[in-house]
Amino acid sequence: MSTAKHRMRDKKMRNQPINVTYSSQGSSHWRNGGGTPTGRGHDLSPHPWGHGSSHSGHAQGGGWVRGHQREGHGGYPQALPTHITASAFAKARAAEVNAMLMAVTKTTGSSHVFGGLPKHMRRRAMSHNTKRLPCRLRDMANNMAGQKMKKEQSKSKSRKARRRHGNMLLEFNRRQRKNLWLETHIWHAKRFHVVKRWGYCLGDRPTYKCYRACYRAMSSHCLLQDMSYYCCVELQGPGEQLLAALSKLTSKETGPTFAAAMCVSGRRQGSVVVYRAGQYPLQPLGPVTFLWRPTTQGRGGQEDQGSQGSTHRQLWIWAHPTMKTDLLPELQAVCQCSEAVLPPAPVDLPVPQPAPTPTLAPGPGAGPEAAQTSGSGSKRKWSSREPEAAGPPAKKLLGYSTISATTPVTWRSSTTGIVISDLTMEMVRYRLIGPLSHSVLTETLAPATHTDATGKSRPSPFWWPDHCRDDCNMSLHQQQAGVFNMLRGVYSTAEVPAGSVLGLTVDDPRLTLPNKRSKAVTWSYGTMPSVVSGVNEERRRELMLKGIPEPLSQSSLWDRSVRDNVTHNKMTDQEVNRLRNDVLVPGSRLPTPLQGRVPVLLVQQSGKSQGTEMGSWGAGWDLLLPKAWGMAFWVPLVYRGVRIGGLRMSLKHTQNKGEPHFPHDYPDCPAGARFQEEQEAELLAKFRRRPPAKRTNYIKHGCLAPFRCPWQQLVEEWELIVKEEEGGGGEDAVVPMEQEVTPPQSNFTVLRNRKSLRQLSAWCRPTSSKCQRARNPGSTPQLNRNVAASLLSSHGGSSLVWIRLSLVTKGQPEQHALVCVPTAEDLQLVRKEPGCTGPQEPLHTDHFKSRVKRPRKKDHNKPGTSSSSSANLTNPSSSCTSALTLGLWPEPLPSVTSHCSRVTLGWVTQGDFSLSAGCGEALGLLSLTGLLHTLLRQPDGQRGLVLLRNPGSLQYRFAKINIEV
Amino acid sequence: MVRLKSRYLLCEVCVSDRRNLSLLDDRAIYTATKAAVARAHGDYGAALSSLGFSVKYLNAHTGIVFLRCRKSHYRLLWSALPFITSLENRGQRVPCFLNCLHVGGTIRTCQKFLVRYNTQQLHRMLPLCQSEAERSEIRKSVLSCTLKKEADDEEEEDE
Repeated sequence: MSTAKHRMRDKKMRNQPINVTYSSQGSSHWRNGGGTPTGRGHDLSPHPWGHGSSHSGHAQGGGWVRGHQREGHGGYPQALPTHITASAFAKARAAEVNAMLMAVTKTTGSSHVFGGLPKHMRRRAMSHNTKRLPCRLRDMANNMAGQKMKKEQSKSKSRKARRRHGNMLLEFNRRQRKNLWLETHIWHAKRFHVVKRWGYCLGDRPTYKCYRACYRAMSSHCLLQDMSYYCCVELQGPGEQLLAALSKLTSKETGPTFAAAMCVSGRRQGSVVVYRAGQYPLQPLGPVTFLWRPTTQGRGGQEDQGSQGSTHRQLWIWAHPTMKTDLLPELQAVCQCSEAVLPPAPVDLPVPQPAPTPTLAPGPGAGPEAAQTSGSGSKRKWSSREPEAAGPPAKKLLGYSTISATTPVTWRSSTTGIVISDLTMEMVRYRLIGPLSHSVLTETLAPATHTDATGKSRPSPFWWPDHCRDDCNMSLHQQQAGVFNMLRGVYSTAEVPAGSVLGLTVDDPRLTLPNKRSKAVTWSYGTMPSVVSGVNEERRRELMLKGIPEPLSQSSLWDRSVRDNVTHNKMTDQEVNRLRNDVLVPGSRLPTPLQGRVPVLLVQQSGKSQGTEMGSWGAGWDLLLPKAWGMAFWVPLVYRGVRIGGLRMSLKHTQNKGEPHFPHDYPDCPAGARFQEEQEAELLAKFRRRPPAKRTNYIKHGCLAPFRCPWQQLVEEWELIVKEEEGGGGEDAVVPMEQEVTPPQSNFTVLRNRKSLRQLSAWCRPTSSKCQRARNPGSTPQLNRNVAASLLSSHGGSSLVWIRLSLVTKGQPEQHALVCVPTAEDLQLVRKEPGCTGPQEPLHTDHFKSRVKRPRKKDHNKPGTSSSSSANLTNPSSSCTSALTLGLWPEPLPSVTSHCSRVTLGWVTQGDFSLSAGCGEALGLLSLTGLLHTLLRQPDGQRGLVLLRNPGSLQYRFAKINIEV
Repeated sequence: MVRLKSRYLLCEVCVSDRRNLSLLDDRAIYTATKAAVARAHGDYGAALSSLGFSVKYLNAHTGIVFLRCRKSHYRLLWSALPFITSLENRGQRVPCFLNCLHVGGTIRTCQKFLVRYNTQQLHRMLPLCQSEAERSEIRKSVLSCTLKKEADDEEEEDE
């Protein structure tokens, strides 16, 4: 019998009595478990031999040992007395009764309680749900179920208790300890698939079908996105020092830098690609957008910076969260800011008094900053578990709550006087995309109304009355409001110059919330009110041509004190609703409470600026708000009929705009490299989840790396190819040298030199078209071998070029599709019949298939030959199978360029059918060496024609290269 | 349910000389019973009743035996039991007879019956005690053999 069976039987017979005989007394004992019965059994059974004989009363207990057997009968016939004593008789009976009781009462065999129940009382699924058991057995069953039950019990708070406001807040705070929530998270969580990415919980895509609707919104109405996850870094300091420090990070060759005149004045938002200090062509960090605070002329007396004059500048740098870890240390190094300032600069918080409106929120500690400034720095409430005497037990988390209290967010430099502070989550950033976003904004926001004169007499806890007291401020506000109202008459958002910045102070948009959701429309010229239309026509034209004048870009949002004030004095929704309830005529406009003025910044986002077709597609406005006001603005915006997009839609937005998307199209940045690794792991896991028979065999399709792009290998191989062709002339010395120089990991870069890109862009177009020639006559040199060589030498061989591909006829490109060089026959084919589909890749053979399959068979046989030797044999093979996946090429890859019948130039990073272009479009990167090599060999009329092949297909498609500057 | 049904006989081994109790053994009882069945019912009866026949439990101190046999032929065994007059073990012959106390369908009912039977005996003994020492001994054993719940029940019965 196997041991398992033994154990089963032992368990079953655990409580059953066993035989009690005199002869086996020494070895047998009462096996019936439990403390007391065993003890009693011992009383009765094994008395030492001598003792038993002398004491007649217990004589029958005399144990009979096996060794004494034979002589026992002959030699000691007196062992058992002839008569019966009452006590011995009773004891024996009592012991037996005990044993029997044990057997009867305890359940046999299975550990389920209902084993003891009679059949007619058993119910289905009793083991699953103990409530089906009779009451008297429930406790026992619960004890047996053990841990499972305990887990359920810990969750057993009633729904009502869980939904109570304070408990909800506690739960929310606990859930965002690891990944930050945006202020619109709850709204998104109800409607979106939320993904955890970059330390945030972000909406990826809506749960409803809206891909085309969102596209339509982008191209004809308005799409709204919450971009608050973008990180803001604030730099303060003397203007010259800042510019000098920042110039190390950028290069003029890539376009305007931080010092661009339009941007420095504060009128425009700029964007640059940041490199590590002084490393320009190498080691890029990624793209950032930046915004200078306009110099405060004419209001110097008021601001704290005013004393230092106009040289003290303030700069906001907005960066993607994956980039922040790289960017912050670099900025600190450049600005020599090593001193960490533990508590942020003390801000004078006006203590809210028993205020004009009785419904004012009592508000110490609405956010982490507030908790620090109100003196209890150590008792920061971001864990909010400990009950605090002063305030309500749970507070809504605002701002950057995942970092600990002691982590510094501000760094100061003693030498340069620059202060860097990390303003992550300090502001809310909404992005409105689409030609009608200005209409949505003008309908939603209303410039702040003035407070009456009575408010001016005494100091107020709110910022607006103080602000109103100064006439400069008021005239500025009126100008800003005028410009904002003028926006109503603009036909499309794209008419406003790109990157324009408009500061504004607006009323609480909840006060003017419409009853029903409706679609904001632009005023056509006929229906426009005469006030807006006639008089302002001239000024509007001026606005469109010259942009928003400089002083109007000023906003109080730049002041930390104002931001904090606005954040802490925000009316809750409940109070707004109460106000609405108190209005005499339902639906009329609410009176504006004193704390209902919010400073905002409007930043125009340029649309598609490159390329010829679909100009300025996807332009829009960015709305910057102080934190805590997110939902107050979000819902009114949604009520104006905008569509909401998630991460996926922002990817499509940049794709349609023909711009590189940050982590995807920047493989040379550390963040981009990280993203590629994550993506590969994700795609590989998804691939492995499929049953092997249903997987694509990428080896047969001639696709070496379907889940990633080995850029480094590509660049090296193209260098070799070109050198070999040149070396064919007779230079032997080159070949050994390049073999010695094995470049370190990832030293490829993406070409961002504007001049070179412009040259390439011209070369990529077929030169036969007349308009191209007419447009830039002689500005770029004609493509020939020498020019190409000089371009190549100036950038080094290991460069990639970011390109946009549009398919000539059919086809929908996918991620990681191959871009290949067409052969001469292919080009001839196209010339003959322009509508042809393209060549086919011959099917490859999978040499690894047999190697993958063999160990599997062994595994099947293994149970039959379960010896140690076979186990040893199978172990290495099983490790081999883990490395070898059917259909994937194992490491190391063979030559990536020459693997297929057409030479590979590069890969596609994102591709899709483009709704704006009406054909398949793809964004990808090519090797610069390969591209020049290809262009030189192509006839003039067909320049820039390449082949595109998806990783899971054998069909090549023709595509045109566009390089846009 | 689909199973082989059995009968369990609860018997008491009565010996004239208590000393011979030490010779009691399950194998001795097994052979003696089989021999008795063979004698009473012939080869055919012996073969039928030996199917699934076993001695489930034996207590030499009290002389209690559980016998199991198939339900279809338990009468053969039952009727042969009075014909056992002696047990043989280790070459010694013990004169005795088997007194069948209970016939049950499961071993559980037999156990339950035995509990009732033994406690009843003990309760009967209690008033018949001669000396105080004896009385206390028996009371102790009576108390010891009752689980908590049963103790309550029995008290009620006594009242």
